[in-house]
Amino acid sequence: MWYKRTIPLVIVFVIGVLAFAHNYVPYPEADDFREHMTKWFMIIGGFGLFLGAYSLLHMHVSRIRRMQPGWAYSAFVFIGAAGMIIVGLWNDGYGPLESAPSTAKTWFDWGFDYVQIPCSATIFSILAFFMASAAFRTFRARNVNAALLLVAALLVMFGRVPASESVGAWFGQQGFFPKIADLIMEFPNLAATRGILLGMSLGAISQSLRILFGIERSYMGVGD
Amino acid sequence: MATPQEQIKRMTIIRHIIYALVAAAVVLPYIVKMDMPFSASKWSKKMYEAIDKLEPGSRVLLSFDYDPAAEAELYPMSMALLRHCFKKDLIPIVMTHWPDGVGMCKKACEEAAAESPKLWGKEKISGRDFALLGFRVGGADLILNMGENLKGAFTKDFYDEPTAGMAALEGVDSLRDIDMAVDLAAGIHVQVWIAYGHDRFDFPLGAGTTAVIAPKLYPFLQTDQLVGFLGGLRGAADYELMLEQSGKATQGMQAQSVTHVLLIVMIVVANARFIVNRLRGKQEA
Amino acid sequence: MTAVDNTQTSSSSRRTIELVVLVGLVTAFGIISALVRFPLEEGEKLRDVIGIIIGAGLTFIFYSFLYRDNPLFKIAENLYVGVALGYGAIITWRQSLRPEVYDPLFRAVTSEAFWHELSYRVVPIVLGILLMTRLSKKHSWLSRYSYGLMVGWGAGMGIFVVTDSYILKQLEGAIRPLQKIVTDPDVAANLSFFDQAWPVVGSLVILIGTVSVLFYFFFSVPHKRLGSGFSRVGISYLMIAFGASFGYTVMGRMSLLIGRVQFLMFEWLKIKQ
Repeated sequence: MWYKRTIPLVIVFVIGVLAFAHNYVPYPEADDFREHMTKWFMIIGGFGLFLGAYSLLHMHVSRIRRMQPGWAYSAFVFIGAAGMIIVGLWNDGYGPLESAPSTAKTWFDWGFDYVQIPCSATIFSILAFFMASAAFRTFRARNVNAALLLVAALLVMFGRVPASESVGAWFGQQGFFPKIADLIMEFPNLAATRGILLGMSLGAISQSLRILFGIERSYMGVGD
Repeated sequence: MATPQEQIKRMTIIRHIIYALVAAAVVLPYIVKMDMPFSASKWSKKMYEAIDKLEPGSRVLLSFDYDPAAEAELYPMSMALLRHCFKKDLIPIVMTHWPDGVGMCKKACEEAAAESPKLWGKEKISGRDFALLGFRVGGADLILNMGENLKGAFTKDFYDEPTAGMAALEGVDSLRDIDMAVDLAAGIHVQVWIAYGHDRFDFPLGAGTTAVIAPKLYPFLQTDQLVGFLGGLRGAADYELMLEQSGKATQGMQAQSVTHVLLIVMIVVANARFIVNRLRGKQEA
Repeated sequence: MTAVDNTQTSSSSRRTIELVVLVGLVTAFGIISALVRFPLEEGEKLRDVIGIIIGAGLTFIFYSFLYRDNPLFKIAENLYVGVALGYGAIITWRQSLRPEVYDPLFRAVTSEAFWHELSYRVVPIVLGILLMTRLSKKHSWLSRYSYGLMVGWGAGMGIFVVTDSYILKQLEGAIRPLQKIVTDPDVAANLSFFDQAWPVVGSLVILIGTVSVLFYFFFSVPHKRLGSGFSRVGISYLMIAFGASFGYTVMGRMSLLIGRVQFLMFEWLKIKQ
C-alpha cells in the first residue's frame, strides 16, 4: 500500500537530498535547518534507546517462556535491571525528576562502580588469556605473507613497551625499537589503513545512494 | 599416536599452563620491583604540547566516548587530561556519546576536582572551573547540533544546572568557540568527531583511543585532521610521564613489558619448533 | 567394572574435588576480605568497602571461566547484562528524555512557553513514539516514517561528509610527495640530501601502498603479470598492517588484564605500590 511503502521511500529521498544539498547553501537558513533536524534526531534517538532496552528484555522473556537451555539464568537479567532501575528512580530520595547533588554518591552510582565496572572490565580482560593461547597455538610463519604479519606484530609488540628501550639501551640505542615500531605504523600501516578507509568510504557512498534511490530497503523491516 | 581424547587433554593442559603464565607475568612486576624507564612517543608529545600551549581560561572539550570495558586504558588517560587542564587553569567541558560513559565522566571529573587542591593548590568547582555536560543521544547529529548551538544541545549539565549563564561556558556558543577538543574513544567516534566536528567547525582535535583502535588513526595524523594522539595504556603512561604525575598507566607499564615479552617468547618458540619440524618433514602436532 | 562405570566414577569424583576446591576458594576469599578490609579505616564508608569486595568477587567469578564454563559465571554474566541495561535505561531518561521532552513541556513556566516548546518538539516526539510500533507486527509500518527520516538524513549527510573527510582529504594526504619537494633554493641549501629526500621517499612509500591496496581490493579481474605483482605489493602492505594491528590488540587486551590486577591489588587488597 502506498502509505506503507511509497511515503517512507519518498521521505528518505527528499530528506536525503536536503541533507546533502544544504551543505552547499551559503545562507544562515541552511544552518538553522541543520540545527532543527539534528535536534529532532536527538529527541527521536532517546525513544530509540528505550526500544533497544525493551528488545533485549523481550528476548530474555521469550527465553524464559520457551524454557530454552539456560532459561533460568535469564532471571538474573531481570534482577540486575530491576535493581538498577529501582535505585535509579528512587535516586536516594531525590526521585526520578530531580538530580542528586554533585556531592552525593547514590546507590545508583554504587551499582555502576561496584557491579557494572568490574563485570564489564573483567569480561573483556579474559580475552588477554585467549589471545595468548591462540597466538601460541596458531600464529605461524607458514609462508612469506604470514611471516610479514608475524614479524610486524612482534616488532610492534616489542617496540611499544618500555622493555624495548631497556634492551636498546644495552646497545647504546635506547630509541631503536620504538623507532622501528613507529616506522611500521607511519608507513606501511598508514598506507594500508588509508587504502581500506578509501575502499570503505566508496562502499559507504554507494550504499547511501542505494538507500536514497530506494534500492536498499532493509531499514523498512519485514511485512508489506 | 595419541588418541583424540588424549590430544584434547594435552591441549587443555597447555592452555591452562599458558593462562597461568600470563597471570604470573601480570602479577610479577607488582611483587618484584622492576625499573624500566621509557620516553614519551612522538604523537603523545604533540598531543601534550597542543594542550600545554593553550592560554589559561581556554575551553577544552573532552568527549569520553567509552564504557567501563575500556576503563583500564582510557580512564588513566581521562585523569591525566583533566589533571593537565586543572594544572594549567584550562576549562574542561566534559561530555560523552555513550550512555555508559556518563559514569566514567562523572567519576573522572569528581576525582580530578577533589584532588586538585592537594595537587595544584587550586579548588575546582563544577560550572565555574569545569562543565560536566554528560550524555545526549545523537552521535554525529549531536556533534552537528553542538556545532550550531552548544547550549541548545545541552540545555542543562549533568547536575541539572542550566548551561545558559554558566561561567564555564561563557562565550562558548558553538563548537567554533572551543579552543581544542580531545576525543577519548573505545569505538569509531574519533572518525565521527573528525568528519562531523573538526572538518565542519574548524577546531584543533586530538584523540586518545584503546590500543585496538590506534592503528586506524594514522592516516588522520598525516593529513593534520588530528593534532596528536594517545594510543592505549602506553599513550596514557606517556602523558603521565610528561605531566610528571605517575598514575595507574605508569604503574602498568612494567606489567605490560613482561606480558609482551612473554608472548613474544612464546610465539618465537612455537615458530622455531614449527620450522624445525618442517625441515625434518614432519607435520605439526 | 566396565569402562562406562570407570568414566562415571572418575567424573563424579572430579566433581566432588571441584566442589571442595570451590568451597575452599570462597572461604579463602571471605577470610582475606575480612582480614584486609576490616575494621574500616578512617574515611572509609562501609558500603564502599562492601562494594569493593563484591567487585573483587565478581572479578574472580568471571575469571573462573578460564577453568571451565560454570553456573556462577553464567549468573554473573546475566546479572551484568541486566545491570547495564538498567543503567542505560535510567541514563536515557535522565540525560535525554527528561531534559529534551519532560522538562521543556511539563516544567514550562508559562502556558506560552509550553505551546512554544510543544510546537518545536511535537514532530520528533510523535516520530519517537512511532518508533515503538516496530514492536507490533500489525502497526510496525508506522515506524518506517521515523526510520525513513533518520536513514535518509544519515545517507544524505554521509555522502557529503565521507567524500570530504575520508576521500578528498585522504587523497590529498596520499599525493603529498609533490608538496614535500623543497623548491625554495634558500631552504634547500640548509638541508642535507637525506633531510630533503626522506619525506619524499616516505610519502612515496605511502602512495604506492595506498594505490596497491586499492588495486588489490577493487580490480577483481584476474591479476596478470604487472597487475599481479602490484596486487602482491598491496597484500604485503596489508599483512604488515594486520600484524601491527595484532600487536596493538595484544597491548589492549593485556592492558585490560593489568587494570583488573591493579584493582585487585590496590583496591581490594590495599597493597601500596
